[in-house]
Amino acid sequence: MNSIDWFILFTTLILIVVYGTWKSRGSVNIDGYLLGNKSLPWWNVCLSIMATQASAITFLSTPGQAYEDGMRFLQFYFGLPLAMVILSITAVPLYHRLKVYTAYEYLETRFDLKTRSLAALFFLMLRGLSVGITIYAPALILSAILDWNINLTTIFIGSLVMIYTVSGGTKAVSMTQKYQLTIIMMGMIIAGLTAFYKLPNDITFTEAFQVAGEMGKLNLINLSFDLSDRYNIWSGLIGGLFLFLSYFGADQSQVGRYLGGKSVSESRLGLLFNGLLKVPMQFVILYIGILVFVFYQFYQAPVFHNQSLKGKAMQTEFAAAITSLETEYDNLFVKKKKAAENLIGAIRKDDRALIDQSRESMEAIQNTEKGIRSQVKEKISAAIPGANTLDKDYVFITFVMTYLPHGLIGLLLAVVFSAAMASTSSELNALASTTTVDIYKRSVNANGNEYHYVKASKWFTAGWAVFGMLFASIANQAENLIQFVNIIGSIFYGTLLGIFLSAFYLKYIKSNAIFIAGIVAEAVIVYCYFFTKVAFLLYNIIGCLVVVALGFIIQFVENKIIKKASR
Amino acid sequence: MEERWRSWYWLVMIVLAVQIVIYLFITNSFQ
Repeated sequence: MNSIDWFILFTTLILIVVYGTWKSRGSVNIDGYLLGNKSLPWWNVCLSIMATQASAITFLSTPGQAYEDGMRFLQFYFGLPLAMVILSITAVPLYHRLKVYTAYEYLETRFDLKTRSLAALFFLMLRGLSVGITIYAPALILSAILDWNINLTTIFIGSLVMIYTVSGGTKAVSMTQKYQLTIIMMGMIIAGLTAFYKLPNDITFTEAFQVAGEMGKLNLINLSFDLSDRYNIWSGLIGGLFLFLSYFGADQSQVGRYLGGKSVSESRLGLLFNGLLKVPMQFVILYIGILVFVFYQFYQAPVFHNQSLKGKAMQTEFAAAITSLETEYDNLFVKKKKAAENLIGAIRKDDRALIDQSRESMEAIQNTEKGIRSQVKEKISAAIPGANTLDKDYVFITFVMTYLPHGLIGLLLAVVFSAAMASTSSELNALASTTTVDIYKRSVNANGNEYHYVKASKWFTAGWAVFGMLFASIANQAENLIQFVNIIGSIFYGTLLGIFLSAFYLKYIKSNAIFIAGIVAEAVIVYCYFFTKVAFLLYNIIGCLVVVALGFIIQFVENKIIKKASR
Repeated sequence: MEERWRSWYWLVMIVLAVQIVIYLFITNSFQ
């Protein structure tokens, strides 16, 4: 990082905050503050939805995932376009017609107050905890890269978001997100092109693609059926459909984005374009990781990508062992580069036997590399007990810091900060909307005026931001807590989806039945989490099915009892 | 577009299907 990078980073961040605060000033009523006066065109709805879903970890971790594991993660998103179509048919017109501020408000119209409060409470628990991790996860990586204190990095990100989200509400969130996502995609594509243009002169895009394919990185589709493994097409289509139906239909962080659309048509188009663009966008982000992988066939890759952690390990008595492994790794690179050049030569000759021979020799080298890397990780673990030696989240950002020219480094760091801010702002805004509309205004103080509720929303936004930052500093001490929060969506989403699907489609089920079914389903999921090894992706399906099935049974019994009593 | 969508829904699903076919082709060409 030099002065140009710092200038670009801080200028970008300050401009976003000032722009968001300035453009959204003067929201004096609750419609303006929580729905942005329903003024968003479809393209802004779409950008807001995409910026909310793609947190900083998406851009840090996804290229690293492709680098290590190939592109099979893409299948996870195949259910998303289907979910967009279903929600466009059902949720969008319904929410617009009822003029709701939150998704949970609709549940009172369809069921009763206790069901609405239960769903709102589930949402506040899952999102309230995960907003802390949305800030913490990128802060952890950025603090290592920039050599900042982790808690100060968390406070820095949280405070930037708080300034414009508190002052401008929903309008500030969506106004800033369109620029944040533009900066993000621009930065990511520049990083990918840099990786490609730094390849040895004569390697074409097609040849780079073929090298990745021969090395098994283009494993885009797996047709085997196993719902407990998230990396096959059926998990993506079925498990992904359930997950994205609940995320976009029952999570206020997303519902709040398309409720701000000018009309049903604008909201619907926003969702449908998200369905058209999301899979290609993930393809591009994963492919950037693939380009970094090909780049590292011709340039020396670091033996361990989290340089900061390795630096700390080098201060201990394990330094000599790590250095010796690193030398072994560096010597191996000479062979790897030669093998990669042979592979390119074989591809040009289109000689299948020669391609296979080169590939086998590269795979053998790669396996030796993996062995050395895992030994290095063991040494680092021994040197720093409790350290997280999973370094795939650092692959992309370390590449950026090492190989991108000055100026672009600043831009890419602005990308990571912007992504963290964009998703955090939506989450804080949704938490404040739900707290104000579903809890405070409905059950605590129903007699306030517009000004009072806007003020309350601002306080709730600030309160949730402070809670998120505090939670992040606690998470820093507990790895288990982070793992729990990462799957907390799966714990509540199935039940929420079951409640909403019953509300949309199953008129037979009434309020008491759905309320009891919701609580029992949640207990079943919590039991699954603590006492079984059921895959997390299945929680969404199990929770949803338990709510619907139990709702039917309880309603049937209730009807019988009422019939008996009336005789 | 005031306050026919079927063709939009089909478009989204067809684009997904076309992508899956392309990805399947890429996957199979390296196996």
